[in-house]
Amino acid sequence: MTPRTAAAQVEVTVDGRPVLVRPGTSVAAALLEQGRWDFRVDPVSGRDRGPYCGMGVCLECEVTVDGRAHVRSCLERVRAGMRIDTAAGEDA
Amino acid sequence: MSADTFAPSLPAAAELSADAAVVGAGPAGLAAALELARGGLDVLLLDEQAEPGGQYYRRPGPEVLDAVGDHRPEGGRLVARVRAAGVRVLSGHTVWGVDDDRRTLLAASPGGAALRVRARWVVAATGAYERSVPFPGWQLPGVVTPGLAQHMSAEGVRLGRRAVVAGSGPFLLPVACALLERGVRVAAVAEAGRPYTPGPAALGALRFPARLAELASYAARLARHGVRLHQDTVVARAHGADRVEAATLVRFSDPGEVVARHDVDLLCVGYGFRPQADLAQLLGCAVDRDPATGDTVPRLTPAGRASVPHVYVVGEAAGAAGAPTALARGRAAALDILAASGRAPDRGERRRLAVRMASLARFTRLTAALYPAPAELVPALARRLPGSALVCRCECVTAGAVRGAAAAAGGSDVPAVKGGTRAGMGLCQARECGPALEALRADGPGTGAVPARVPLRPLPLAAVLGPAPGEDA
Repeated sequence: MTPRTAAAQVEVTVDGRPVLVRPGTSVAAALLEQGRWDFRVDPVSGRDRGPYCGMGVCLECEVTVDGRAHVRSCLERVRAGMRIDTAAGEDA
Repeated sequence: MSADTFAPSLPAAAELSADAAVVGAGPAGLAAALELARGGLDVLLLDEQAEPGGQYYRRPGPEVLDAVGDHRPEGGRLVARVRAAGVRVLSGHTVWGVDDDRRTLLAASPGGAALRVRARWVVAATGAYERSVPFPGWQLPGVVTPGLAQHMSAEGVRLGRRAVVAGSGPFLLPVACALLERGVRVAAVAEAGRPYTPGPAALGALRFPARLAELASYAARLARHGVRLHQDTVVARAHGADRVEAATLVRFSDPGEVVARHDVDLLCVGYGFRPQADLAQLLGCAVDRDPATGDTVPRLTPAGRASVPHVYVVGEAAGAAGAPTALARGRAAALDILAASGRAPDRGERRRLAVRMASLARFTRLTAALYPAPAELVPALARRLPGSALVCRCECVTAGAVRGAAAAAGGSDVPAVKGGTRAGMGLCQARECGPALEALRADGPGTGAVPARVPLRPLPLAAVLGPAPGEDA
């Protein structure tokens, strides 16, 4: 079942590209809805990592929001105009 | 970073004071804050999420609730009552430590500014987190906890096309249902125990038909969707290169027997919940090891008062027991504080609450008896980990490395194993690998549990140093 589209979508940028997301969701939800699972690159293995716990404990979902590094994307809400940068995007 | 940060005399952090500081705005924290404010106390409620509710009543934004629906509207009603009672709610605030006086709470605002909170009473309602047990491939994107699957489904996200839900505990069933509701095909639910063919020990739970009926309705919904429910089954391995592609399920009682291999793009694995008692530990409260779960739990009176008399621990932080218990514990602690503050609440009310809590505790014990005891399950799973499997996902430490450290001198001491391997010393502070680390340590003297450490969460430097001059905290 796809959610009804009630509220207008808002524009954010993900790794420099503008995308439309549903307002009121977490940043993690917005990225996952874009099909993104590579939120982070593990510094030891160099492999992609994605969100794991969804409640602010594991820190696997950290991204940079409006230039602020190490934001737990599962706890942060999307806002219109928000700039979201993933470590995976930086390496691409 | 500005040069001001290194000025010789740093400005003091912003200070807040209250009669009672409640940390955590889940069911227990909300219930405690509401009762305390109604009793006439000035209450500050600090919570790290964007919106009060905790994990159980987690509230997405109103736009999401409008579009997707609110699966627990009673949470929103409770939050509204808490606000109406005059509780000062500070969302987005992370309590990360306790000052040297073991009393003042150290917090960071959403912008990362430092905050000091002083209160006559501290109520730790810090909740629980999911018990993870490592398995090969658990670090692959697409392998998540059941809690993440539930939260993202509640936010309206369809997480994948085909999923397996595995682990142990009653929570797996509603999570599988939430995924189905979003259009995810659930190939199977794998439960390590045999709770759904109960033995004599479980029959006592029949005295609580309403709660069991809820579980049965989830099971019926899964059956209608053709979801296989495998018992005595665990995940042996997640396969995939950059994302999970398949999961192999084996018998828990005979890991050589492959039950199934499912192609999936989502694998949800969790073994119930562990109390998050670290704030209570930093406040100096005595803790014990729960023999059935292996978890660290604070030593409490029935009303939730800790060994440090101005500290109460309520809700899941006092021992995972579910939302109805959490609500009751929050109220009980608040009534105890009000009585100690000379604002004697109705004695009959306290008595009725005590009776209800005893009944809930009985149900919790019976439910727990249906599922394998984590104190036995976790070591059994950890022992069969191949040496190449990651135990610590933050620092990429393998089971082989942890076993090597455990075999060395001092290997019966969890801090020594951590120091020797860096396992459990990453950003999550062993919240994910802790149970496995504790299980893999050698038998013998030493600290058997992962100790609480400051900061409880990684922080921007500014939050530790205090606000820069002129900055509004």
